[in-house]
Amino acid sequence: MPEGDGVIDALFSLETIYVLTGIVLLIFSFLTFRDRTNPHRLSSAVFWMVLGCIFGLGAVIPNWLTGILVLVLVVLDGAGRVERGRSYADLVIQGRHALRLRNRIFAPVLTIPLVTFAFAIGYRVVGADASRGALLGLGFGGIAAMLVALKVTQATTRELMHAGNQLNETMGTVNILPQLLAALGVIFTAAGVGNVIANVIQQVLPANNLFLLILANCIGMTLFTVVMGNSFAAFPVIATGVLVPLIIRPFGVHPAMAAIITLTAGSSGTLMTPMAANFNIVPAALLDLRDRYGVIKFQLPFAVAIWSFHVVLLWLLAR
Amino acid sequence: MPLSEFFKLSGIAIVIVGLAFRLRPTLVVVAAALVTGLASGLPLFSAAGKTGIVDMLGKGFADNRLMTLFIITLPAIGLAERYGLQQQSAVWIRRIHAATAGRLSALYQVFRVVVGALGLRLGGHASFVRPLILPMAIGATETDGVKPAEETIEKIKAATAASENYGNFYGQNLAPVQAGILLVYGVMRGLGYPVGLWDLVKYTVPVVAISLVLGFIQFALLDRGIRRDSKRAKCPKVTE
Repeated sequence: MPEGDGVIDALFSLETIYVLTGIVLLIFSFLTFRDRTNPHRLSSAVFWMVLGCIFGLGAVIPNWLTGILVLVLVVLDGAGRVERGRSYADLVIQGRHALRLRNRIFAPVLTIPLVTFAFAIGYRVVGADASRGALLGLGFGGIAAMLVALKVTQATTRELMHAGNQLNETMGTVNILPQLLAALGVIFTAAGVGNVIANVIQQVLPANNLFLLILANCIGMTLFTVVMGNSFAAFPVIATGVLVPLIIRPFGVHPAMAAIITLTAGSSGTLMTPMAANFNIVPAALLDLRDRYGVIKFQLPFAVAIWSFHVVLLWLLAR
Repeated sequence: MPLSEFFKLSGIAIVIVGLAFRLRPTLVVVAAALVTGLASGLPLFSAAGKTGIVDMLGKGFADNRLMTLFIITLPAIGLAERYGLQQQSAVWIRRIHAATAGRLSALYQVFRVVVGALGLRLGGHASFVRPLILPMAIGATETDGVKPAEETIEKIKAATAASENYGNFYGQNLAPVQAGILLVYGVMRGLGYPVGLWDLVKYTVPVVAISLVLGFIQFALLDRGIRRDSKRAKCPKVTE
């Protein structure tokens, strides 16, 4: 029955999950709008509403319109108009709930990986794309976890969405950064940025020396991360400019292997830089270290050692 | 290479300078995208067969919605947090019996790797290290109720902060739905190299293994340093 297959295909498509995520975002937007403790409740609500619309309608509306909506998001955030309301974290009440619920409180959060892996394995078993399975699992896992959370805590749906909105507001607008960076990568590719970088490197390094190219790849990734404080921002640049044109394409190196090892080579940069303040400087203050660079100094030998390992591993696996 | 080619790199310069000066990351990234596109002669909107910058921005953003899919998990996690998720996690962490500060840091690193592999975002310097791991580590170093020297405490603080970072950075790539893996997945697909999420996870395994080995070595050295410090403190005349 092809018609039934169509319904099932539609239900288990990524679009379904995106639409559900869009609905969650619209609910967040509504709650933010109603939150009088938020100094910019209207513009904050618009931000999450627009993001929700992109999620729900991204496949339907034309790309130029999505592009304009993205610009709206960025202008709102850039103008500092996306704020959060007052949080209601009450540690005493949380402690009391913990005493009552004990390990049952883990049930909702463990539901997410459980469903994710179940979908991924299921997709692999029937020979479908296990990557898509994992993503679908994450989406349906999020929904299942909501139901489990409601059952375990006996809370209302309203409280559930309030808690989600509060967490979302706490994480804030940086949530969309990976998506923006991926879009930046698309534009870099179209503009031919990668070719320019690759040309410059080829003037300095012999194109047939894989080891030197891998060294340059890892040095570039780490340097960019040190300066920007963010390996996620460095990755699209290095991938378009060095990794793909100089290593993966000419040498036929395994793309997944080379890409993920390049990303974590950047993590050494994150361990070494005060620019990654959230990981290195804020903790030093939080733990009352006298030396605000104390955490970085401790991490430095580790970062250098694991970085060297990345170079060697990438070289061994690429040959 | 003609000089005009180098204008294409202006976007990279914007990202570097913008993030280094701590401007809004979203604004910096989109400004870089627009400038790069304009510098290489692309139109703002699609015209005359050329795809426009805004069109590409929209398509790139919509195609990579999977990177922000985790928002659908936030209601359940947020509710669990309100009903004592962190407090109950703390109960488990307090059960860790480690004789020394170094071993505790190593065990916490393992805990963070496991949490990351499950695709969860549970941990952090503020919620676990400061209230739990650091006091437990200092407690493990106290001998006969005597607090360790300030120099030693300083080292322990740095080590516990580092163990959170070590476990978090490398462990998170073991789950196919974490941000780093999804970023690589999306960017490589955009470059014409469709990679599998599970392949990315697979090639992370050796890196995680070595991160644990290196962490254990460093934390073992920390314990040795602490023992030396405490001996010196006990018999100051003998040491020099």
